[in-house]
Amino acid sequence: MQQQQKEKKLKFFINDDIDILIEILKRLDGRSLCVAACVCRLWRTLARNDSLWEELCFRHVSSPPPSSVRPVVLALGGYKRLYMVCLRPVLSRLGLAELTSHRVKRTWTRDELQLSLSLFCVHYYERLGAAAAAGDTDRSLGECDASTSSLMFLCKPVNV
Amino acid sequence: MKREHSQLDPPPPPPPPPSCVAGPSGKGKMWEEEQTDGGMDELLAVLGYNVRSSDMVEVAQKIEQLEEAMGAFQADGINHLASDTVHYDPSNLCTWLESMLTEFNPTMPAGLGLDPVPAPSVFDESSFIAPAESSTITSLDFSHQRVLEEPSTSDYDLKAIPGKAMYGANNSQNSSNNYLSLSSASASSLSSSTTTRENKRLKTSEFYPPESTRPIVLADSQENGIRLVHALMACAEAVQQNNLTLAEAFVKQIRFLAVSQAGAMGKVATHFAEALARRIYGLYPQSPIDHSFSELLEMQFYETCPYLKFAHFTANQAILEAFDGKRRVHVIDFSMNQGMQWPALMQALALRPGGPPAFRLTGIGPPAADNTDQLQQVGWKLAQLAESIHVEFEYRGFVANSLADLDASMLEIKPSEVDSVAVNSVFELHKLLAQPGAIDKVLSVVKNIKPDIFTVAEQEANHNGPVFLDRFTESLHYYSTMFDSLEGSVNSPENHKAMTEAYMGNQICNVVACEGADRVERHETLAQWRTRFSSAGFIPAHIGSNAYKQASMLLALFAGGDGYKVEENNGCLTLGWYTRPLIATSAWKLAAKR
Repeated sequence: MQQQQKEKKLKFFINDDIDILIEILKRLDGRSLCVAACVCRLWRTLARNDSLWEELCFRHVSSPPPSSVRPVVLALGGYKRLYMVCLRPVLSRLGLAELTSHRVKRTWTRDELQLSLSLFCVHYYERLGAAAAAGDTDRSLGECDASTSSLMFLCKPVNV
Repeated sequence: MKREHSQLDPPPPPPPPPSCVAGPSGKGKMWEEEQTDGGMDELLAVLGYNVRSSDMVEVAQKIEQLEEAMGAFQADGINHLASDTVHYDPSNLCTWLESMLTEFNPTMPAGLGLDPVPAPSVFDESSFIAPAESSTITSLDFSHQRVLEEPSTSDYDLKAIPGKAMYGANNSQNSSNNYLSLSSASASSLSSSTTTRENKRLKTSEFYPPESTRPIVLADSQENGIRLVHALMACAEAVQQNNLTLAEAFVKQIRFLAVSQAGAMGKVATHFAEALARRIYGLYPQSPIDHSFSELLEMQFYETCPYLKFAHFTANQAILEAFDGKRRVHVIDFSMNQGMQWPALMQALALRPGGPPAFRLTGIGPPAADNTDQLQQVGWKLAQLAESIHVEFEYRGFVANSLADLDASMLEIKPSEVDSVAVNSVFELHKLLAQPGAIDKVLSVVKNIKPDIFTVAEQEANHNGPVFLDRFTESLHYYSTMFDSLEGSVNSPENHKAMTEAYMGNQICNVVACEGADRVERHETLAQWRTRFSSAGFIPAHIGSNAYKQASMLLALFAGGDGYKVEENNGCLTLGWYTRPLIATSAWKLAAKR
């Protein structure tokens, strides 16, 4: 009896093995990754790692992206932001969203990604304008409201 | 447009002969038939009625019979029909009509031809749309801003007016997709006297033979819409004939009717009424609208509908392809505004294989009203962006009242071995047509610049004809379509939509109310621009399929915008709403390159 309890204490706990945890998180879809970020502080820190989101963005794209892409995306706000603000709404609007409830995972191509990237760039530019208008050019752009008007057409329509 | 119907006890015993039944009080219930691709009728689906297009003829027949039956009785109102009729299944329009018919007149066999029933003067409100002799009823559907054509068999006095060319003859057998406009003949008959109504009443009392294959077209339940269009056309006709007192009367009528119309038609009519009023009273805007305010409106237009985005994305794609392999590039933008076009191009250049070129941008814009240097601020923002994405960037802003004031030498064009140049103009060239000689000067300046590519985006409409009435009709159709497409956009907050509508309203005012140098919204069609560019020495550069794909994808993102269609037109791309092209992007290069 006591030995069984001791064995229970030696059970595997995922948070002890961050590398495995990262490997698992790398394979999640967007929604699950967001959910994972709500589990505990460690998971939240890990899920915020932009490289996970980079993996997610390019997962279905056939060929690996050129090396020039990453600095541009990072400059514009990072892959997580790209996914949340542009890629996800674009995919859902185009009907390509991953539907985990139905266990159906659709894929997207480079074209959707490129369009999202263009829209992301316009969005960044607008945030620049908003920051300048607010007179606070030193303020980190990450704090600006993510839903600037140029992307409003991607927002879900409100059911009136 | 809502219709009320309530449930009653099923199935009703045939009511006593409806001697107490009224004639149609005001709302002849009619719907428009619309040709679909098969499956459900799309217009009726919008109203919540699922009717298969195969059933449509039957439905239409029944409606016609109902109409006849309604006309047969002189009593005060058949409103009770709306409330008393049993309606089991809103998606089954056919049986509902049948039930109405049987209630109305139990002896009337549904589905068969009827004896002719004279429709007397009860057809007051519906006089404009009541069927005459013909096989189709002209009608207007204001949810889609289309007016349907009646074949020539009728002597109903709505005929086609000039402007049909914009729609290309679409004479399908059903005639349901035909676009019709109202003839000057009818307009003049309207303007001639108030007894026109009487004339129409008499007309409607004529017999029309039911035919089984007759396509029926039915109007929006509010005939006010039809009267509205009639009034607009009549007013324009009156203005054309310089009969200003009559025109004034019509403007009042238009305003009154426009208020009753919900949706796009009401808004369009209000704007046109204001524009007509301005024309009648000579209230041309003395000075151009404050530019910063109009820029704000344009920003809202950019955000709410895809037209500007489409123009930017397609032009960018053409420029990107022209800049392939070049190490230093220079873009001259005739339509700088807020510079919303360039972030996407810069990002695409940054990510192109081989790395970004050195990017130089020259922006040209009008002077700002408050003396702030708008162009410089835009340039600063773009420089910030360029720095973030590591693109070597250089910017120069030019303030010019008109593009014709420019000279190639001012722009510091470097020789072509050094810089590859592109010239871009979005919705700017048509303004030059207001000043004689300006467009030729600008085109020669562009030629002197020797660009690798010259991208032009313009409205696809002919609002520059010599005859006012033609311009009026064209713009009525064009802006009705634009407002229509706006109605579909569900995502924008109301104030954004309102500003977009104001943006278009300003254009409407300009087209209708202004003349001479003031009238800057001189839109011309792609064909007209093609002729102009060809005679100036440009040859078309085909916009590739990448642009088409990207544009289609972009449009798919606009919720509620199933109507947006990208089409390829001899190497140019057009964006339209359903079958009506609204914006056209084209690319040009010099005929003889060095």
